[in-house]
Amino acid sequence: MKNLTTFLINLLSAIIITLGVILYLSSHFIGLPMLIVGIGFIYLIQYKNNKKKAIQSLKSLGKALFIPFIGLVVSLIIVSIILISTGYNPLMTLKTLIYGGFIKSWHSTVLNATPLIFTGLAIGFAFNAGLFNIGAQGQYYVGTAVATAIGIYLPMPSIILIVIAYVVSMLLSASYNIIPAYLKIKTGAHEVITTMMFAQIASSLSGWWVNLMGGEDPVHKYKTDKISTDAWLMKLKDLVPLDHINYRLNVGILVAILTAFVCYFILYKTTLGFKIRAVGHNKDGAKAQGIKVNKIIFVTLLISGALAGMSGVTQVLGLEHRMTYDLSSSYGWDGISVALLASGNPIGIIFSAFLWGGIDSGGQYLERVTDIHKSIVEIMKGLILFFVVARYIYLYINTKFGITKKLFKNISHSHTP
Amino acid sequence: MTTFLKLEKITKKFSKIVANKDVTIEVKKGEIIGLLGENGAGKSTLMNVLFGLYKPTSGRVLINDKPVKFSSPKDAKSAGLSMIHQHFMLVDNMSVTENIILGQEPNKMGFINYKEAREKVIALSHKYNLEIDPDAKIEDIAVGVQQRVEILKALFRDTKLLIMDEPTAVLTPQEVIHLFEVVRKLRADGMSVIIITHKLDEASEISDRIYILRNGELVDSCNACDVDSQMLATMMVGRDIIFKTDKKPRKETGIKSFKLQDLSYKKMDGTYAIKNLNLEIEAGEIYGIAGVDGNGQKELAEVVRGMVKEESGEIIFNEKVINKYTTLERMQNHMGYIPADRLKFGLIPAYDMASNLIIGEQDEKKYTKKTNPVWRRIVDVLDNILGEYNPVRGLSIINKKAVIENAKEVIKKYDIRPNDHTAIAGYLSGGNQQKVVVGREIERKPEFILIVQPTWGVDVGAIERIHEQILAMRDCGVCILLISLELEEIFTLSDKIAVLYEGKIVLEKPAHLTNKNEVGLYMTGGSN
Repeated sequence: MKNLTTFLINLLSAIIITLGVILYLSSHFIGLPMLIVGIGFIYLIQYKNNKKKAIQSLKSLGKALFIPFIGLVVSLIIVSIILISTGYNPLMTLKTLIYGGFIKSWHSTVLNATPLIFTGLAIGFAFNAGLFNIGAQGQYYVGTAVATAIGIYLPMPSIILIVIAYVVSMLLSASYNIIPAYLKIKTGAHEVITTMMFAQIASSLSGWWVNLMGGEDPVHKYKTDKISTDAWLMKLKDLVPLDHINYRLNVGILVAILTAFVCYFILYKTTLGFKIRAVGHNKDGAKAQGIKVNKIIFVTLLISGALAGMSGVTQVLGLEHRMTYDLSSSYGWDGISVALLASGNPIGIIFSAFLWGGIDSGGQYLERVTDIHKSIVEIMKGLILFFVVARYIYLYINTKFGITKKLFKNISHSHTP
Repeated sequence: MTTFLKLEKITKKFSKIVANKDVTIEVKKGEIIGLLGENGAGKSTLMNVLFGLYKPTSGRVLINDKPVKFSSPKDAKSAGLSMIHQHFMLVDNMSVTENIILGQEPNKMGFINYKEAREKVIALSHKYNLEIDPDAKIEDIAVGVQQRVEILKALFRDTKLLIMDEPTAVLTPQEVIHLFEVVRKLRADGMSVIIITHKLDEASEISDRIYILRNGELVDSCNACDVDSQMLATMMVGRDIIFKTDKKPRKETGIKSFKLQDLSYKKMDGTYAIKNLNLEIEAGEIYGIAGVDGNGQKELAEVVRGMVKEESGEIIFNEKVINKYTTLERMQNHMGYIPADRLKFGLIPAYDMASNLIIGEQDEKKYTKKTNPVWRRIVDVLDNILGEYNPVRGLSIINKKAVIENAKEVIKKYDIRPNDHTAIAGYLSGGNQQKVVVGREIERKPEFILIVQPTWGVDVGAIERIHEQILAMRDCGVCILLISLELEEIFTLSDKIAVLYEGKIVLEKPAHLTNKNEVGLYMTGGSN
């Protein structure tokens, strides 16, 4: 009986959370309190079952968020100093930025975050094995190219077409990492060099691909034909019958969040993840204890490629519905910052992707309504990244001034390379 | 005799941890001091305070009765203090002379005067009977000679107090005798020497006085002639230690269960680390391999474990040739491994204890949850297509309950502290880390086990326990290959003793038919 009630409450909370997420992402801010209430319910049940464990998990969450929070505050202070020295009011500017990014243009934040979660996951997943798949941009291009070709040329019913597009693009963008992975395990060629070179190759070939897919039309020289509407991802507008939902918002963001949870599950609950993290923490030890390090490296790089490919597919099927010859797009590169910010934790990547997406769309809003140049946003991103990633600064402060050791116990064990 | 150095009531605290508490040490001119203590007793902290790397929380340092304040090792050096670290601080690709004069080059208008320097070095080496080739490169000379270079380096800069950290760790018995002669000569010339060590016999042999540290506090100081190593050990650990491990005579089984035949291994640079190595170990026998570090021990261990591929030769275990077996297959065939560097090879330091106790076995049925039959079918199909590189092959869910239960059992059985399976392995003390590794390997019921330096960095109190466990394994019929740099350990444990020199076995004798002098002679290649 007790189990049944627990189950029912859990189920109810799950429904509330899902609804809350969808509403929140589609700019209905009522979703946020729903989300909090749902999570609160689940936490209360946990607390009732095992008080000690629940308190401990809350504490460890606080510990994990402490450093990013300090980093954020410090970088905002420095940005304020820069703004003052250039003659702007920092409070007004930051207020505009936050209002733009997280309230006014929230839909564009969500749209920005979708591909960033995928590329962040691609790079973060590889971090866990001590690998740096810096060429996620290349695998992103492969994903978009394949998805576009399938969307244009494959006549299939909607849901099957979408599944095929996802599966084939993931397979091909994973295979795009086969050569770097093979070189890494056979010759020790560093994946930073090889994947980056492959990214350059992909970006150079993308122009040719765009032409091949109908880009020779004089009107749309840099764009391919549109993919068939069967391949489009569902719009959030169709999912939730409410007004004021931006027509561009699609279920891609939900796929991204789900993927992040799947990645978390693989890394922390399965034997594959156990081995991947072992290789990332201590390669020699893993080898001496019978883990096939080369195989793990190979598989991890392939999974990483597939995740980066998912980013491209989601972007094509969900938002753009075509491939553009756009050399300035940089989801692959931004994914590095997103993954570093979360130090490779898949759940953390969701939040850091939203932060990055929000700062970007806030910057655009800022430029529209004031005369402050958008580059202040880039400065801010750089500072945040620096102050969050440079954990050793805090370690130094700790040893120098002897702030309680407990607080910093976890920092030295970050596995980012 | 006048007092040269005095550390007066040194206390050093790191936030809440007290590393040194009220430590007072006095060093007279021309005196050899032994500084004894287990790992973590505060020896290194004390030396770092002396060298100005740490500021003491309270207390002061006096030299010639004048208080001094060093803010860096440079200040300490200019006051006549010199330290030889356990891992030598020499530049590998520079010559002996260059290394000795580094930082104090005699010069003529800005140009280094090599001739003068070389002559000075040769004169010094003759005076103290420290044979060296002034033009040889450091990377080409043996470890024992490198130590001589370190001593000369200290002599070259007018040292008044020489501190040596574990100076005998890398030496053969003959080299130890020579080193002690040199140290006594230094004493005769009025130099003071502090020797940091955990080898009790040597401490009482060479020192005039001995200071013993325990948990950061000075337990006792005594004249070396008044004590024996048994008493020292008791003072150091705080309880009685039985040194003579109870070793029963071996049961002759006659089963040759492990063999190496003509094993060779080539290093990356093309030289042979192991050349045509042959050995046979019976079940229930401990085969001890002695030798100076760098004579192929590391490579031999890696080849036997299957981490690197041998050049030629055969590894035979239970009458099967296992050359082609991967590390995992060797583990599944009950071949265990207790590595010397446990943080590098034995554990994943960032993982908790429970995970470390199952690593290598994570794919086994008892630690994974049953998978759904449909999913299993998919995995099988993918396995057929992709073979080894099927990404979802290892994708079974870890059975956390079973993992934790296993951990609790092992922790209880082997008395690992803290009694908490979520403790991060990297934060455990050396002894407890070794308990994790040893416990894990014994629980896997090995038939063969490769043990390298099992007591490296382990407290004196824990050594006897580890030795007992190894002997217990032997008595159960496990075939044991023991590689150690510590002769003492080899002689305590082994039934058969071999000496590895330049990748070859140059001596192989039953333990009761040989002695330390003979083994020491072969360790330096002195037989030819």
